[in-house]
Amino acid sequence: MTAISSQPSAPAAESAVALPRGRRRTELLMLAFAVGVVVFAYANVGFGLNGKLPSGLVEYGIAFAAIIAVAHLAVRRFAPWADPLMLPLAALLNGLGIVMIYRLQESGRGGNPGNQISTISSSTTTAQVLYSAVGVAAFVLVLVFIRDAKVLQRYTYTLGAVGLILLAIPAMLPDSMSEVPGTGAKIQIAVGGFSVQPEQFGELALAVFFAGYLVTKRDVLSLAGRRFLGIDLPRARDLGPVLIAWAASLLVLVFESDIGTSALFFGLFVAMIYIATQRTSWLLIGVLLFVFGAYVASKLFSHVGVRFDVWLHPWAGDNPTHNAYQTVQGLEGLGFGGIFGTGLGHGQPFWTPLVQSDFIMTAFGEELGLTGLMAILLIFGLLVQRGLRAAVAARDPFAKLLAGGLAFAIALQVFIIVGGVTNLIPLTGITTPFLSQGGSSLIASWALVGLLMRISDTARRPAPQPIQDEGMTQVVRAG
Amino acid sequence: MNRALFRLSLAVLAMFVLLLINVNYVQAFQANSLANRPGNARTFDEQFQYQRGSIIAAGAGGPKTIAESLPTKASTTGNTIYQRHYPDGAIYAPITGYDSIYGATGVESAYNKDLEGTASGLAVHNLISLLTGKAKQGATVNLTISPKAQQAAYQGLLDTGHQGGVVAINPSTGAILAMASDPSYDPNLLTTFDGTQLNKVDKRLLTDPSQPLLNRAINQTYPPGSSFKIITGSAGFSTGKVAGPQATISAPQPLRLPNGNFLNNDGDETCFGGNPQVIQAFALSCNTAFANIGIKVGGPTLRSYANKFGWNDANLTIPMQVSPSVIPNITDKSFTAMSSIGQFDDQVTPLQEAMDAAAIANHGTLMKPYLLQSIQAPDLTTIDSTTPSVLSQAVTSQVASEMQQMMVQVTQSTFGTAYQTAGPPAVGTSLVIAGKTGTAENTVSGAGLDDAVFTCFAPASNPQIAVGVIVKGGGFGAAAAAPIAVKVIEAYLGVH
Repeated sequence: MTAISSQPSAPAAESAVALPRGRRRTELLMLAFAVGVVVFAYANVGFGLNGKLPSGLVEYGIAFAAIIAVAHLAVRRFAPWADPLMLPLAALLNGLGIVMIYRLQESGRGGNPGNQISTISSSTTTAQVLYSAVGVAAFVLVLVFIRDAKVLQRYTYTLGAVGLILLAIPAMLPDSMSEVPGTGAKIQIAVGGFSVQPEQFGELALAVFFAGYLVTKRDVLSLAGRRFLGIDLPRARDLGPVLIAWAASLLVLVFESDIGTSALFFGLFVAMIYIATQRTSWLLIGVLLFVFGAYVASKLFSHVGVRFDVWLHPWAGDNPTHNAYQTVQGLEGLGFGGIFGTGLGHGQPFWTPLVQSDFIMTAFGEELGLTGLMAILLIFGLLVQRGLRAAVAARDPFAKLLAGGLAFAIALQVFIIVGGVTNLIPLTGITTPFLSQGGSSLIASWALVGLLMRISDTARRPAPQPIQDEGMTQVVRAG
Repeated sequence: MNRALFRLSLAVLAMFVLLLINVNYVQAFQANSLANRPGNARTFDEQFQYQRGSIIAAGAGGPKTIAESLPTKASTTGNTIYQRHYPDGAIYAPITGYDSIYGATGVESAYNKDLEGTASGLAVHNLISLLTGKAKQGATVNLTISPKAQQAAYQGLLDTGHQGGVVAINPSTGAILAMASDPSYDPNLLTTFDGTQLNKVDKRLLTDPSQPLLNRAINQTYPPGSSFKIITGSAGFSTGKVAGPQATISAPQPLRLPNGNFLNNDGDETCFGGNPQVIQAFALSCNTAFANIGIKVGGPTLRSYANKFGWNDANLTIPMQVSPSVIPNITDKSFTAMSSIGQFDDQVTPLQEAMDAAAIANHGTLMKPYLLQSIQAPDLTTIDSTTPSVLSQAVTSQVASEMQQMMVQVTQSTFGTAYQTAGPPAVGTSLVIAGKTGTAENTVSGAGLDDAVFTCFAPASNPQIAVGVIVKGGGFGAAAAAPIAVKVIEAYLGVH
């Protein structure tokens, strides 16, 4: 980065990357398409379950379209140059999540075939729509108050402390307040009937902290120490930060029994240190530390060891009916869906415990089939790609690092949870961004997309016209 | 930093590619094996969401439905599923078998693909159903079983209070008209969707000492006793060692065997002064006469004639696998003598007894026994049916006619062993049954209770049914087995 920005011609070249139009009309068209898909899917659930249009089609449809319209108007007003695809992608995921949660809520209700899912109540869908509204509000607030991502750099250490506190709170609360029922994971603050998972917001705060910290320290961290097997190892004294992050993530694992979040934080940190320094050695050190930590944890803590056993031998002994029950139900659901799926409302996703949160992708796989599941994975892939594109386009190193980290966080989270429920990797319970039931994850995901769109808007905003007229000279893209 | 971002993008791409490959693996390649996993709750209902075809007893007195699928609601999903039901289950259990969530037996297993509608012959029909939106449905399997004959056979066995098996076949086609086994079981107990309950019932039936799941008609063998004299006589006439029914044969009491042992007639009685005609010896069932014929024919030759009647055939299916009836390969004259009167190591199923009589009745031609009359697709088109086929030419029609004369004398001659129970005193003079009794010493049953055997066909002049009956520990063949055969014949022919 230093090398590029030191060249005087760079700003002009970067500005040429941004398209001269805001492309808000494209966004509107894509949003209309997304809302259409969601309303169609919702109607489909009604036909699948009861053979008729579902009640609330108009109300839910209008509510969802209105929420999305607010987001679009806010983008037009506050981030007119932002990427036109991110909002439609996020809206489509959010909407599909609501549809699937409605479908699961209707299982076993009102004479419908299917078992009722105990953790879902009749107001779950309404709640999820409300969370969507709050999520979009968070998105709008990010766009309104953060006019340039650079301002966040000022709060690097403040946000770092906030992130750590958010992460640590559940560990200090009694189990009754912090444990998610049935999972053993201590990741929430539950008061009355209301619960928040602070780690979802901690993730955002820590990403900002990592970006701010690494931007200032990256020159030092890039310094080469010894050379080993053709790789420049960092100096031993610079290992401090990565070791601290590693230890913190292990503490999360031990005290909150939350392997997924622990892996997510550590992976995010390693990816960001790699972006900042471009040193492959950091990636290697990170991966080695993680593998070592996971191995030791699997030996020391039975609940981690069980995850490995379930991953490697889901069908062995009494695993299918005990420890691996959830995984096996998820896999059998995916198999049941096959290539084209059973159709919405025609599958039996209710067999899978926590199908509305961690395992929601298996419900999509079951009812929309391999085709639908791949389509959703590609939507996530596109969202990540647009985020990385924003990072590449960003001129400010802090914004660039933050965008890269946030985009990678989405990818890693999807990989951990989808890989887990499809038994590609050991299962670790984290939410699926935008899809899973629950407000914290949804609101944090919307805020994250808000940040990415803010960085994209800054990057794509045309530079002020240079005073000197360059005539018809074509600017060569520096891409 | 852009270079690192570019490389990180490649890593992200790799992560998504891995996820995509894995979901393809699970949903496209593993889907089948996942569906077939035991305990898969999702595919459980699916197996039962289509109406399985019925099994019909379509012979005389029919058609009668003996297995059908009735709609019910799944307790877990509320879906409409079909549960198997067997009207008169115990009577027809040896034929239908059962179809449970863990597997099937009998006709349910043999024609499973047709019944569940996945047989290749149903492909076009299924395609049309798919296009017209009709629910998939299994084909109907029509059996040759005559409800009248089956009912009589099972009731007859029940009345004896002993275990046993009965098979009736149409001599000219091989169509099986009845196949009963006692004790039987109620297959309706095995159609529950509750795996725990099913395990309990299954275990109880498997450990029951009376072996209710055993189909005694085709899968249990007993010593044939004197009924084997049909084979010995046929071999004697066919080889020319015995000139004909009127030829005389030496029948001493007792017969001294080459190994020094003595072979006795029943009750140690003399047989027409020790020099009877073959037909007299047959009617009175003289052991020493037929032991002599057996010795004249020789063990290996005797066995080869038994094989022509279907003995020692381990590959016979109807379509259920039939246990082979056994004549051991012996050259020793003493043992041959015992084997030729159905003792020693001879073993026979009720089905084989019926086949022996059927071959004689059908001019010496043994037809392959079969259960399947036809299979009908749900649109009533016939997609499969059995064409009767010849299993073997057991004897010439000349020999068969000589054997028929002898078998008639068993019931019609006043000194015939079955005169009282299958002759005029029992059935009158209008119906002539041709048969042969057997009273087999059975070391297994002990307590002096012999196995009662009777094999016959009727009417003698125009055979329409051949019956084989074995009652374990029933005593005299004429007393315990013949009355059952008479009941089956009368029920089937509609006399009395």
